[in-house]
This record gives sequence, structure tokens and C-alpha cells, in this order.
Amino acid sequence: MRGYSTVLLERADLGQGTTGRFHGLLHSGGRYVVSDPLSATECAQENAILSRIQAGAIETTGGYFVCCPGDDPAFADKFLAGAAATGVPAREISVGEALRNEPRVNPGITRAIEVQDGTVDGWQLVWGAANSARHYGAEILTYHQVTKIDTANGAVTAVHCTDLKSGEDVVIDTGFVLNCGGPWAGQIAAMAGAHPVDVIPGRGIMVAMNHRLVNRVVNRCIHPADGDILVPVHTVSIIGTTDVKVDDPDHLTIEPNEVQQMLDAGEVLVPGFRQSRALHAWAGARPLIKDNRVAAADTRHMSRGMAVIDHTERDGLDGMLTIGGGKLTTYRLMAEHIVDAMCDKLGETRACRTAEEDIPVTGAGKNYVVTHRLEEREHDRFEDQIICECELMSRGMFTRALAEQPSGSFDDLRRQLRLGMGPCQGGFCSMRATGIALSSGHIDIERATALLRLFLKNRWLGLWPILYGDQVRQTALDNWIFQGTLDVEHLPPADPSVRPEPEVEKKAPVAASAQAGVES
Amino acid sequence: MRTIVIGAGLAGLVAANRLAAGGAQVTLLSKGIGGLQLGQGTIDVLGYTPERVTNPIRSVQALTGTHPYARIGAERVLAGLAYLKELLPDLLVGDPEANYQLPTAVGAIRPTCLAQPSMVAGNLSSGERVVIVGLRQLKDFHPQLVAANLVRTDLPGGGRAKVRHVLVDFPVREEVDSSALTYARALDDAATRERFARAVIAHLETDEIVGLPAVLGVRDPQAWRHVAEKLGHPVFEIPLPPPSVPGIRLNEALTAKAKAAGVRFVQGTRTVSFRASGGKVDAVTIAVEPAGREFTADAFVLAAGGFESGALDMDSHGTVRETLFGLPLEGADAVPLLHGDYWGGEQPLFNVGVAVGKDLKPLDASGAPVYANLWAAGGIIAGSAGWAEKSGDGIAVASAIGAADSILKELA
Repeated sequence: MRGYSTVLLERADLGQGTTGRFHGLLHSGGRYVVSDPLSATECAQENAILSRIQAGAIETTGGYFVCCPGDDPAFADKFLAGAAATGVPAREISVGEALRNEPRVNPGITRAIEVQDGTVDGWQLVWGAANSARHYGAEILTYHQVTKIDTANGAVTAVHCTDLKSGEDVVIDTGFVLNCGGPWAGQIAAMAGAHPVDVIPGRGIMVAMNHRLVNRVVNRCIHPADGDILVPVHTVSIIGTTDVKVDDPDHLTIEPNEVQQMLDAGEVLVPGFRQSRALHAWAGARPLIKDNRVAAADTRHMSRGMAVIDHTERDGLDGMLTIGGGKLTTYRLMAEHIVDAMCDKLGETRACRTAEEDIPVTGAGKNYVVTHRLEEREHDRFEDQIICECELMSRGMFTRALAEQPSGSFDDLRRQLRLGMGPCQGGFCSMRATGIALSSGHIDIERATALLRLFLKNRWLGLWPILYGDQVRQTALDNWIFQGTLDVEHLPPADPSVRPEPEVEKKAPVAASAQAGVES
Repeated sequence: MRTIVIGAGLAGLVAANRLAAGGAQVTLLSKGIGGLQLGQGTIDVLGYTPERVTNPIRSVQALTGTHPYARIGAERVLAGLAYLKELLPDLLVGDPEANYQLPTAVGAIRPTCLAQPSMVAGNLSSGERVVIVGLRQLKDFHPQLVAANLVRTDLPGGGRAKVRHVLVDFPVREEVDSSALTYARALDDAATRERFARAVIAHLETDEIVGLPAVLGVRDPQAWRHVAEKLGHPVFEIPLPPPSVPGIRLNEALTAKAKAAGVRFVQGTRTVSFRASGGKVDAVTIAVEPAGREFTADAFVLAAGGFESGALDMDSHGTVRETLFGLPLEGADAVPLLHGDYWGGEQPLFNVGVAVGKDLKPLDASGAPVYANLWAAGGIIAGSAGWAEKSGDGIAVASAIGAADSILKELA
């Protein structure tokens, strides 16, 4: 938008590494009014901007901060004072009103504060921004992994990457690199020969529960802690999260004790939580920047604020900036800051317009509501088949997405369509998707078989850590379908070049710890 | 003699029929309409050990240890298969010493022991010409997927088949999204079958065997023959994911036989509790308002299935339970119960179940019957995952026969 010729490199699918691995919360700022006032103000401002410029990606659910039994009710006073000081809209309501609107919430709550939390589809948000960038001429290369950054005379000159789909090496000559690698930013900076950037990945796990147990974001009104938020997103509600320092963002575990911790925390917010059906678990890594004011092991209390690292001063390297910290709610502001910094370094004055201009294509208009798809199917059900009953995905939606992304995996399509993300976790739609993809002519049978196998494998990574109750029952039914009826495990050979996405080699279960992976 | 069977799947229906035929008074309690319509509608005995099995009964005889067949015995498998074929002569054919190798709806070749007559032309030989015919309005059957996998598969008997596919437009209602059951009901009508045959016949080439989704009638067991005659080609049905029309055929036929033999069905409500005294079960209670309803009997058969039905359950703390009688479970202490490799070995959780003795009574840790008048049949029995080895039906039938015969002998 500021007139630079731009190429975006992503080693996997957009939103696959970090942005899609969160609990779906569009912060009101309330979470930080006491602990991190600057972040609180930024969140409140960005919440308003995003709800306007990317309306279709955001459901304006509203949120409550509630004092649960045993929580100090006086924290609510600090909260209200903090909200007033940071410009975060907040209003105390009666416990009776809160429980009328959210009847599943713990009836023992002592206070309730209403805030403007929303929920956001991280993938829609990213694609909106990507489409906007394309609209202004950017080129976006997904599944391109950076392998090397060339420098000459103290300045960046080119970026080498590998096209993971074709195996080809690509070299891009450039005068400037914006390192927005999140938890991987340290690795990228090192490729340019910069001194180590202390990005400390803070791992958080999330568990999606079938159904919207609440229709607003429900937060515990306490100092930020593990499992203090329940977020209704699309057809599910997500409890999160934990915060554990990890060394490697490519190896995130889902530990059994952390799953139990989330279920216990859910039980406090919504009694009977453990009897609800858990659908899926995943882990993501916060890209926190090391801050000497707190112990290195305590990533939750590091600054969520963003910081742009200037490699000229730090490393004597021109043409590269790194950004760390931040959060999804402030993603637009992070972009504004780092591009502003680049303009400064280039000695140019080009104003940022992202806050004023609606995102083209999927931008402004109505905010998302959970009944959108039901309404769409009401209109087209006589013309189009429903391929995924859980998520009301039509055949047309699938074939259109596939035509746009013919080399995509079913997980790439899932991120766009919610294919396989409902209660049956792919039990009924996977085979249909495979058949339709094959008959589309975009792929051959070896690839179709490989995509089916990979999809089932990846679904399981997020299932087994939370497998209990009704989801065990569902898994048994799915096994009867795939192995029992279809004998899918005895299909002839699959295309060996279809590999898991670059990350995933993650772990954990309900009953014991072993290797596994994750993603919503 | 008053008996109660809990569960309306294959095990429950076979036990109820066998008990009624033996002169017992039978009440069958079930939450739903049973699991048969969720399966492929054939009778598996043993398909993989994990090598592909060609002679199932011989492979069953070779099993030892804690496998259900090792407890039940191959003679009960033979008795069960003979009993089923006698009970359902129109619906089941096959030989305990030779598996059919039949194409699935993804184009794999799946071993099974007894199949429906409408399926057995799918037992292909090298060089045979096959056309897989799909229906545009049926989303659970993709003929290109079936054909493309089938054509590149080595047949178990050697060689490969020549396989192509066609997609036929054949709406049976004013909709683009008809289920298999909607098609099957429509094709119970002879005039619709003739219209169907006219839509398909134009696409056939000389000497082709015609593979169709398993939707050729649900009530009329001769519907598929009519279609084959009209086409002038051999046809075979390929089972689909639920709702399974072949499974519904078996379910309805076995239910009708049981009702004709005097079995009383109480369906729609879960059996939730029991009462016992002196080492015997006195009664079970179903969940109806206001206070449940109690059924007393001399003998009880637990044929409620495994994890898929909720007869076995694991709670959020990882504790596995048999949900009605709280029976001791075998394998529940395995560590780990689950692992993260979907394509790796069977999840140990799904081998958990009830240990049974030769007489099919659930046993405690010391090897003694838990209750003197409680028997178990089908998926509740520990020691195997029927979906992987393709053994669920055989275990259900053989254990149901074993339990029923044991009851009839003991309480005579």
C-alpha cells in the first residue's frame, strides 16, 4: 500500500505456524488492564479498527470478566480502575444479568464485568490481509522456506528459499528484509549473520470443545493465569491456555497434565465442563521478546508489547528489521510499526493507511455471525451437496477452494473451509473430499490417496491428547468406517512426495506421554 | 426360562434368535436400532492376521492367547456361520474356508467371509473387465476413486482387473443430495429399477462386470437380480459408509426373524442399572420416566457393543469402564492406552474389554464368573479391534451362539 515492490515468503500455509494456533480471541484489552497497560490500550484501539476493516473475519461476541468462587472480588476494582486508565471499555453488570445471558457460567460468580471481546478467525484475518497485499501488487509465496540470506558490504542483498512443493530453489534479490518470523524470527536473523535475537517461544495449548458452551468470551477476572479464558469460535468453544517456555517452536508438546489443567480450569468457568465433548487440541508458540525485567522462565509476564529490532545499530547490518512480541489482535499495528521503521531507514515519508482503508474483497460489511453457513445452505441446498455436515461445507465451496489451490493439502483446504473440524473429525467428509478432489482432475490417484492418509494422520495428532468420552465413541465409529467398511489401510501405494507440513513433530495424550502433534 | 438380551446389533439379534428358537422367553433391550447399519453388511470372520487371510476358519483355529476367538473356539464360529446362512438364505452366501475379496468404496480389496449375493461378482479374477458406475446425486460413492485404486491393485489371486468408471445422472427425488437409503427405497420399486437400468445400460461395454454402490433395494432382496437381468451384465454392490443399506437389510431380516420367533423388543431407552444378590443378577432397569422400569429374568446377555456404542467408556481422567454392570476390564491398565501414530499399531485402548470364559460368562481377575447368570457377546469382549482384522461379525456371531447355547444348556 505504500508503493514498495514486495514478496511475502511463508514456509508453510498462511497462518499455519502461529496465527492459526491460538484460541480465537480478539482482545478487548481487558486481559491486560492490570498487568500490561500499554498492551491493553493497543488492544482496545486495534479491536475497534479490525472489527471495522475486516468485519467478515470477526464475530463481535462481547465478553465477560467474572470473579469465580475463591477469586478475590477486589481484583474487579483494580480491573475497572485499570480499564478506565487504559481506555478499555468496561462496565460492571449484575451477576443475575451475566447468568441470564450465559446460563452455563458458574452460578457461584460474585462479580461480572462486560467488555468488548470478540472472536476472530485467524485464517480469514490473514487471508484478508494477504488478498489486500496482492491487490496492491505484492507477491505471496507459500510453502517457500528461507534457506539463506546473502549480505554484501554490510547490507542484505538477496534471500534464498526452497519451494517445498516443487523442490526448486528460488533466489530473490532485495534491498530490504522485514523479518516477521514470529517464534522463528531468531532463526531468520541468524541466517543474515545477525547476533542472536532472543525470541523466547512461549508454548500454549488449547482445547476445543464441541458446541458453544458460552456465546460470549468468558474470562476469569484474575491476574493472567493458565486456562483463564473460554472463547466461542464458530461452532466450538476453546479453553486456553498454558504458557511454558520452550527452546524450539518446531517441537511443541501437549502434555497430559496440561490437558487436565485446562479441563479443571474449564470446570471452574463452566461447571460440568469435563462432561462436554472435547474435539481437538493444539499448541502454538508466542513470539515473546526477552525482557530483562522478568525471569526468563516466566514467559507470561514478559512484554506482550511489540519491539522492532534495528540490525544496523545492533549488528552493523543494513536492510533488515526484525519484529517480535505482539499478539494477533495487534497484528495490523505491528505491520504499521515495522514498515514505518523501514521508511525511516530508507529516508522516505510514506504514510500508513491500513487503519483507514477496508480490506478489499473480504473486508468491511457485516461482522461474522455463527449462523452464516446455515443461511447460505438454506439458499443453495437444492443446487449443491453438503459434503461436511458438521461444518455445513458444500461441494461448491470445496471445489472452488481446490481450484484456487490445486496443489493444496486437505489441511490447507481445511483452514479455509473447516473441512473435518467438526465432531466427526473427518469421519464422513474425508472420503468424499478425496473422491471429489480426484474427479476435479487437479490431482492423480496416488496423490489423492496420499492426501487422504495425511489428513487422517494429522487429525489424529490433535485428537488423541484429548480422547475421552464421546470422542472415543466417535473415534471407534470412524475406525469402523475407515478400516471396517473401507479397508483404507490396504489401499495401493500413495504418492511419497506428500509430506507433513514443515513443523509438526509434537507430542502428548490423556493417559501417557509420547510423540504426537497438534493443530486445530 | 426368562432371558434378557441387552443390545440389538449382530450379537444381540443372533443371541435373541437362538434363545427363542431354543424355547426361551426373550426380551431384547436396546438404546437404538443396533450397529449393523453402521457396518459393511457382510459377515467378516477374519480378514488380516495382519497378512491377508484366504481361509478364515483355518486362521481362526491358529489363534491363541487372549484373542476372543481363542476363548470362543472355532467350532462356535462354524456353528454361527451355519446358523446365519440357515436363518438368512436370501441374504448371505459363502464358505468358512474361503474369504471373498471384495472392492470397497475407496477401491481397496477387502476380505470377508459371508457376503450378500448382490456383492459376490466383485470377487474379481485377473483380466476381468469392470466398470464402476456412480450416481451424481450420491456423495458417498466416487466411482473414479474406486476405479483408479482398483485398477492399480494386485488381486489377491494374482493379476489385475481392467477397471474404468462412469458417472450417471439419476435423480430419485427433487434434490442433489440423496442418501444411499433414499436410493435403496426408490429402487425397491420395479418401475424405478427399469428406469435405472435404462440410464446405466447405455454406458456399458461388452463383457463388463458392473460395480454399483450398495443401494439396490432395501426391502426387496431380489431387486439386485432384477437390475442385473435388465442390464444383461453381472453386477456387484459395493458397501458405503453409514447408513449402510446392506447392513439395514441384515438388521431388518434378523429383527423380523426374532419377532416371528416371539422375541419382545423394548427399544429406544438405554439400560442404565442393575440389581444383584447372591452372586446373580436379578434385574436390569431402563431409563424411562419417572423412576425407570425394571426387567427381571433368569439369564442376562450383555451384547451392547464396545466403545462405539458407549457400552465401554473412558472418562476425562483416563478411567475406562464397562458402563452397565461395572464389569472388570482386561487391558485397561496398558500404558500407554493411546499413541499418536494414526497409521502405527492398533491403539491399546481398543483392545480393552471384558474377559470371558469358554461359556461366555464375564470373568473377574481370578478367572471366576462375575455373576452366575450373566453372559457377554460381541464387541464388549476384550482382546481385538474388529475393524482392523475384519473380525467383528464373526466374534459377535460366535459369542452369541456360545452364550445362547450355554444358557439353554445350563437353565434347561
